[in-house]
Amino acid sequence: MTVVVRPRPLFVALGLLLALAIWLSLALGPVSLPLGDTVRAGLRLLGMPLSGDGLARAELILGQIRVPRTLLGLAVGGVLALSGVAMQGLFRNPLADPGLVGVSSGAALGAAFAIVGASLFGGWPAWLAPYVLSLSAFGGGLGVTWLVYRVGRRDGQTSVATMLLAGIALTALAGAAIGLFTYLADDATLRTLTFWNLGSLNGASYPRLWPLLLVTAAVAVWLPRRATALNALLLGESEARHLGFDIERIKRELVFCTALGVGAAVAAAGMIGFIGLVVPHLVRLLVGPDHRVLLPASLLAGAALLLLADLLARLLLAPAELPIGIVTALIGAPFFLFLLVRGRA
Amino acid sequence: MRPSARLAGLCAGLLFSHFLCAAEALPQRWVSAGGSLSEWVVRLGGQDRLVGVDTTSQHPQGLRELPSIGYQRQLSAEGILALHPDLLLGSEEMGPPPVLEQLQAAGVRIERLSARADLDALEANLLHIGEWLGDRPGAERAVADYRKALQQQADWVARARAQGESPKVLLVLGHAGSGPMAAGRDTVADWLIERAGGRNVATHTGFKALSGEALTALDPDVVIFADRSLEGDAARAALLEQNPALAATRAVHDGRLLSLDPTLLVGGLGPRLPDSLASLSAAFYPDQAPLPRPQP
Amino acid sequence: MLRTEGLSVSRGGQSVLDGLDVELRAGEVLGVLGPNGAGKSTLLAALCGELAVEAGRVELAGRPLADWPGPERARRLAVLPQSSSLSFAFRVEDVVGMGRLPHASGRRRDEEIVGLALEAADAAYLHGRSYLALSGGERQRVHLARVLAQLWPGGEGRVLLLDEPTSMLDPLHQHTTLQAVSDFATQGAAVLVILHDLNLAARYCDRLVLLHEGRAHASGAVDEVLRVEPLRAVFGLDVLVQRHPERGHPLIVAR
Repeated sequence: MTVVVRPRPLFVALGLLLALAIWLSLALGPVSLPLGDTVRAGLRLLGMPLSGDGLARAELILGQIRVPRTLLGLAVGGVLALSGVAMQGLFRNPLADPGLVGVSSGAALGAAFAIVGASLFGGWPAWLAPYVLSLSAFGGGLGVTWLVYRVGRRDGQTSVATMLLAGIALTALAGAAIGLFTYLADDATLRTLTFWNLGSLNGASYPRLWPLLLVTAAVAVWLPRRATALNALLLGESEARHLGFDIERIKRELVFCTALGVGAAVAAAGMIGFIGLVVPHLVRLLVGPDHRVLLPASLLAGAALLLLADLLARLLLAPAELPIGIVTALIGAPFFLFLLVRGRA
Repeated sequence: MRPSARLAGLCAGLLFSHFLCAAEALPQRWVSAGGSLSEWVVRLGGQDRLVGVDTTSQHPQGLRELPSIGYQRQLSAEGILALHPDLLLGSEEMGPPPVLEQLQAAGVRIERLSARADLDALEANLLHIGEWLGDRPGAERAVADYRKALQQQADWVARARAQGESPKVLLVLGHAGSGPMAAGRDTVADWLIERAGGRNVATHTGFKALSGEALTALDPDVVIFADRSLEGDAARAALLEQNPALAATRAVHDGRLLSLDPTLLVGGLGPRLPDSLASLSAAFYPDQAPLPRPQP
Repeated sequence: MLRTEGLSVSRGGQSVLDGLDVELRAGEVLGVLGPNGAGKSTLLAALCGELAVEAGRVELAGRPLADWPGPERARRLAVLPQSSSLSFAFRVEDVVGMGRLPHASGRRRDEEIVGLALEAADAAYLHGRSYLALSGGERQRVHLARVLAQLWPGGEGRVLLLDEPTSMLDPLHQHTTLQAVSDFATQGAAVLVILHDLNLAARYCDRLVLLHEGRAHASGAVDEVLRVEPLRAVFGLDVLVQRHPERGHPLIVAR
């Protein structure tokens, strides 16, 4: 396990990959638009006074469907990968997953409550209805993570090992509650719940996008400022403390960033697995564990990979659409197995 | 030209142009999300207008050849736009809302029709579909036939009930015989059982899994099974094999196990319903002379 | 430099340290000896602020240890734990470079110091290797280089605490490592080292503390502590104390 790539070429390669992914995500879709129309529609969206046949349609598909969807993919992929890095650093385990602190199961519980609750309690008020699912998933993720953090805390110190176990226990508990909601749900509701658990970038719209973009930007600015602290944390908590870092504060920030980031991503796009686990791991194999490189590189790689996965999700079965969680798991799980087998050899 | 002739010409012209306008406004490319709606569109002669259907549109067979737009609650905006539709037809369940907004913004006409199991709702739906197909009289005829068939059915059931006790019925929905879910109140299945003259022995709401013991305790006279993956005798054999407890019921003892197409149970009142009701009734009351089959 | 006064610590209701006075002086290596469970590691934990003090005080340069802001303290006080759980594929110089995190001395100077510290720990040949590919002893020396880099260039006002730094080393490296530590002290740093090997302690320490059940059974110059009676009392071991033929320090042989 030695470093394969130097940081600079890696950033160039990832930048190119991301640019390619964005271009494909904007240029390809079930509706085949001529390349020229796509470009001109894009320029028009940027404010250039162009006109032509079919431009209105291209502009609509680009501006209302593909651009928000691409932005959503960038933000979700980036923030999931960043959260993965934060959790692998916090737990000092290269195979840790953002779900370990309970944020995913909490969000799933929140979603189950919102989806099934709508039919149990006779619907949500109209002004709230469009946002119940997102808010509830976000709140559930944050709430369960907070509980995990509280359980892990004693005498002013947070035990990462206790948090890990608390995460497992609370995930099981959330699973039981989700099971109860599943039992109470009718067929159609159940189906919605199942689809939510598989994630999708479908139906991205600007009002839902802005909160996530904001959170992603905050996390993407904040976490790299803690890169050296994360490096020191890998040595061990006491070692990092002896190097002068306020470890309790760092741990709190890492948990909060993850809960916020994953919570917002899950609220906007449902459950999307493996990005947070596999992307940081893959990037670490390429450039080594230094968080000053790992964090920005994972951000780029996560965004690019999720966009490419989404491309498959919307093209494979067009005009229908595959849930993106299926695509990421189909690619991620075998890759993960490969890493395990290779690591043992 | 005499004034009257001119007037007649004018009238004819106006009429003709009006007719033209109407023809132009009719949506030509339809996407339908909702099993029984798609079935009605076909029944009312609109099969060649359909360019795409959702995964619940399984009947008649021809619909399965059309491009699938996925599940009705998880539609994809661009996928549907790629079919260049003028009209997207669906029930209240159609979604998600942001995708519908995007489709509307792209100029697709979106029509939501009620999926309630209710004759008035059905009448409104059919008349709308008829109008969009440009054949309102045909739709009116279909509504009248449907009402008539159901009325005959109701009369027949009333007569039958007067002469004998209504049988206790249980409807289970399963997958290759396993995990049978019993249909309770507020389901299309309950509506079917009642209209066919039976008495639903399951009293819970919605579809729920029942234990073998509970199945035995309900002791239905008739079991209707709707299997999602097997048909007819194979489904019957699988059901009995997977649920040995059923053997203790009167229904199995008397050999009164009826097969039902599970697609009848979703999406409101479909065109095949009167037929199915009639055959269920015939099985519920084997001593009565069955209703003459309504015309196809 | 770093001193305790009446230091008491208890864990789970049991007293582990009981009114201990210890002082680390600039330019000296203080060896801490004692059987398992005598409180050696607890003393080290209290000296670096890892453990809350129950009674008594711990002072760094005349100021209570807890009052020091983290980074400022890290520039003066470094700790080498008994073992490390680092399981990520850093390069050796990156691990040593972490010792420079509390400083803002610039990349060029840091790289220079990393090289010097690796040399001091006799680990310069490991430069460029992946940490995970190293043996246990090599890793221990890399971490020694890391704490040396943290205090580089040493001198008065720096404190180095080492918990059994030779536990995984071969005989040659036990000596080279302790020699490096001793040289570091000669330049002015105050050093505390926990050791199990009495002869290594005799050779490289300036003063010794013999811990027994949370108290200092004996403390002072090497010759005063390494005597037959205290060793029997503390370790329950019968020994002969002789003189090193060339160096003159005590040589302990079990009977």
